[in-house]
Amino acid sequence: MNRWLLVAAVVVTLALPPLLPERHLGTFVLLGLAATVTAGVSMLMGYAGQVSLGQASFYAIGGYAAGLLTVHGVPTLAGLLAAPVVAAVAAVLLGAPLLRLRGHHLAFATLAMQLILLSLLGRGDWAGGAIGLQGIPTLPVGGDLGYAYLSWAVLAVVLVISRNIVASRAGRGLRAAATSEIAAAAGGVAIGRYRLTVFALSAAFAGLAGGVYAFYLGYLSPGSFPVLLSIEFVVMAVVGGLGTIAGPVVGATVIVLLVQALNTLGTQPGMPGYAPSVLSYAVYALLLVVTVLYLPRGIVPAVTDRLVKERRP
Amino acid sequence: MNVAEVAGLTVRYGGATALDGVDLTVAEGDLVALIGPNGAGKTTLVKALSGLVRPAAGRVTVRGRLAQVPEGREMFGDLSVDDNLRLGGWRNGRGGRDTTEIYRLLPALDGLRRRRAGLLSGGEQQMVAIGRALMARPDVLVVDELSLGLAPLVVTDLIAHLRTLNAERGLAVLLIEQNARLALDLCRRAYVLEAGRIVLHGPADDLAHNQRVTAAYLGGPVR
Amino acid sequence: MSDFLGYLLTGLGIGAGYALVASGLVAIHRVTRVVNFAQGAFAVVAAMLTSSLLAAGLPHGFAELTGVLTAALAGLLVGLVAIGRPGTTPGTSLIITLGLGIFAYAIEIVIWGDQPRSFAGVPGVAVVGGARLQAHYLLILAVTVPVFLAMAAFFARTDVGKALSACASNPYAALVVGIDVRRMGLLAFALGGALGGLAGVLTTPVQQVTFDSDVTLLVNGFAAAILGGLTRPVVALGGGLLLGVAQTLIAGYGGSAYQLEVALVLMLAVMIVQASRRGAVPEPAR
Repeated sequence: MNRWLLVAAVVVTLALPPLLPERHLGTFVLLGLAATVTAGVSMLMGYAGQVSLGQASFYAIGGYAAGLLTVHGVPTLAGLLAAPVVAAVAAVLLGAPLLRLRGHHLAFATLAMQLILLSLLGRGDWAGGAIGLQGIPTLPVGGDLGYAYLSWAVLAVVLVISRNIVASRAGRGLRAAATSEIAAAAGGVAIGRYRLTVFALSAAFAGLAGGVYAFYLGYLSPGSFPVLLSIEFVVMAVVGGLGTIAGPVVGATVIVLLVQALNTLGTQPGMPGYAPSVLSYAVYALLLVVTVLYLPRGIVPAVTDRLVKERRP
Repeated sequence: MNVAEVAGLTVRYGGATALDGVDLTVAEGDLVALIGPNGAGKTTLVKALSGLVRPAAGRVTVRGRLAQVPEGREMFGDLSVDDNLRLGGWRNGRGGRDTTEIYRLLPALDGLRRRRAGLLSGGEQQMVAIGRALMARPDVLVVDELSLGLAPLVVTDLIAHLRTLNAERGLAVLLIEQNARLALDLCRRAYVLEAGRIVLHGPADDLAHNQRVTAAYLGGPVR
Repeated sequence: MSDFLGYLLTGLGIGAGYALVASGLVAIHRVTRVVNFAQGAFAVVAAMLTSSLLAAGLPHGFAELTGVLTAALAGLLVGLVAIGRPGTTPGTSLIITLGLGIFAYAIEIVIWGDQPRSFAGVPGVAVVGGARLQAHYLLILAVTVPVFLAMAAFFARTDVGKALSACASNPYAALVVGIDVRRMGLLAFALGGALGGLAGVLTTPVQQVTFDSDVTLLVNGFAAAILGGLTRPVVALGGGLLLGVAQTLIAGYGGSAYQLEVALVLMLAVMIVQASRRGAVPEPAR
């Protein structure tokens, strides 16, 4: 059954872009990218047991890496490939000190990391400062439709990597570490190295998505990567189900569609000007709180549990 | 009259049954021991008596007031001895939190009033735990693992205090102990709890000579 | 020299605001082990409400007090959602407070819009020992110091204060003696709300407030509180004052606008040093 569901999902995903009206194609691209970043967050939270409130930093680092390189004449493909590498290297350098921290300490540290990055980008003339980096070339993928397929291809690659990590020895070790670090250490799991690896890998996912984002939009500014964006990734990961493969896709889809629908509602004539932002804040907040309280493992595990129960009465 | 009465008490944690149909009574002014091996469910029974776990079946009736000296002493380590005692009277309201009487009953605590409870020795902490429980002005005192980790001399002193409280103030005591010899010496009646069930009960003297008890808990026949 | 004194007093005034936010975080964390990400929102709500009340012609004092009490109520509500359900772990509660902090954005924008707000405080310039500074900073200090003294007395002298400390020290023992630990947690949330609200109404005349000012307040408050491991109110006070003075001095002697970075780098350094000294003691994951 699982296989058929997967095939159906792939067929729908492949068939959808040409059928979507122009204005929804952009949402489709951004959804693929959001799910890609969320896959990393989900792995980090589900397998390393840590809350990161700074994942948008790596999204930004990937984007700026790709943007800066290509603005200075590097071929676009090389720029795209550099994005995850630069983000992962940054994650290793930052993670070495930061990953000594746990729980709320790490949450605040990652938040601090992002605030510092935003401030650096805002002041750095080399990065276009607060106005942003302009004139980033586009990828030769044939317009928005090409970006739609590219972003979901990137997501597919990231999900396959996640799946392999989950099934690997390192993945099992990390899952043990997420539940009990002492037990995992006693079992000879090199937690520190695994945690850093997952941190770097999740940063690479975000960086790759950021690279695509930079080419797709053609310009970047610090304002494109607010702290709230990092929190949105956490909400998507939690709502979908931490540490699952389908969770990030489901979580991102549910939230992006909801926000999109409310955005449409909020921009109706007669609605106050603040309606779209208020509605999206409310959606993120309520989904997060309700999920954590009443569906603590997220949508995907809850649904699969129910299916398994129905098949074996 | 019984100050505490447990009838058909069953407690489950998830799927595991910790207590299974336990009956136990403590009469006014009684001295009752509950002995049994680790994991038999003794601490669960204490929690049920204090209302800290919900029974799956059966009834817990406490007439009057029950106070607990918890296993491991459970000090408010950052607070002074006097504050630990005061908070023992929390349920009595502001008027019932005067600690003078406790220092009269347990003079050893008098010199420790201002000390931080977390820094005291094990025996001193156990004394504070008893004093804190007495602050509730209980009719029955449940003492969980009085002797655990304490030097024999200290235990003897604490036991003497419990005996006095029982004799002079009619305080009923339910003593939960791994040290069966100690418990049977002090108490009049005793229960043996194994794997969540009461397997034996009766006068402490009888149990002290019961073959099963001597073999399992007293290290062979008595003398 | 008088420059220095001016910066020092201004810094103490700013730091007092951080210290109030920090002590709110500490009050909540000690009793419930929850790090409250909605702490900055209490300050924003109180400040916004006060500005509305003052604009409606209500007198100073009454408006500020209403703001603080409303923030206390907001604290209680956040607490109810965050720890009200039995079995909610501190990690889960943290995520809930994060969500509620964002929910506050929605409410704040609906009521007060997304533009910065402020209101008049103590007008004019004060001269202390030759140093000139905005007089309002002196009011911030004049309120904060007694509030901290009153809190110290509350925890040391009253039974409710001791019961709060007891819950912080040993929640199981608190249950055993009959203290309702959950209710004490809610009280801590209300207290944290009031302290956050006080920070908001005191600092808004010198630093205008926007719905998303909460991030800056929260980060500065956390940086101040982390010095004392989130459990020691007095250290949080010292940390807040130190942070305020450091930021003002750096800004005053040419660092212009690197104020938040000072807090961030200090916070990271303190946490990393603390972690390496502890050896990686694992905290319970969520």
